[in-house]
Amino acid sequence: MASIAAPALPISSRLREGALFLGGLVLAVGLHVVDPAQVHGPVCPFLALTGLYCPGCGTLRCLHGLLHGDLRAAAGFNVLTLLVLPVLLMAWVATGIAALGGRPAPFLARLPSWIGPAVVSATVSFWILRNVPAAPFSWLAP
Amino acid sequence: MPAGGPAYGGADVPDYLVWAILVTIFCFLPTGIVAIVFASQVKSKLAAGDRAGAIDASNKARTWTIVSVVVGIAFGIILGIVLSTASVTHININYP
Repeated sequence: MASIAAPALPISSRLREGALFLGGLVLAVGLHVVDPAQVHGPVCPFLALTGLYCPGCGTLRCLHGLLHGDLRAAAGFNVLTLLVLPVLLMAWVATGIAALGGRPAPFLARLPSWIGPAVVSATVSFWILRNVPAAPFSWLAP
Repeated sequence: MPAGGPAYGGADVPDYLVWAILVTIFCFLPTGIVAIVFASQVKSKLAAGDRAGAIDASNKARTWTIVSVVVGIAFGIILGIVLSTASVTHININYP
């Protein structure tokens, strides 16, 4: 029966997982404290070069809104981020569990074979539609 | 139980999660997200004892990561060509 208890990750991998988990935590705390909308730092190179929004535009502002419980603002900045966030959160939690020597629970165990093309089509559509300067598509713009 | 059996020794099944996130941010987002989804599967599949599934997810994460790099570079080159042939006025109008 001892064979059923799978060993934890080797210590070097656990350190790497721990660093990754802490990185996510630092990012979350940073985005709670700092409002990206108030930071006039470097903009996205795609936006700077073309004047168009990329599908990632508004991600930081979306996460900031979410960290302050403002779901409406979060969805307004980047609704795609909200859709992908559960996957990222799961990966983050699994990373923390692995770092502590535990075994993350099964999640997304089975995905349909068309998940790749579906995500790419949805994201590219989002990319195009959020640049259409008319309602309802303009609601997708950050 | 032979060594190297169905153990959750994830070190030999890389999840490419860091690479998937990096190519999503810096190369090409649409395909990068797919890489993140598959990379997210690897650890929990290993923990559930589904080693074959973990290896499959790992391979898919790597493939989509490589695709993101290639498409990202191609997209950058095409964008560069389009922008360099576009009129300067056009770029100025759209500059935020």
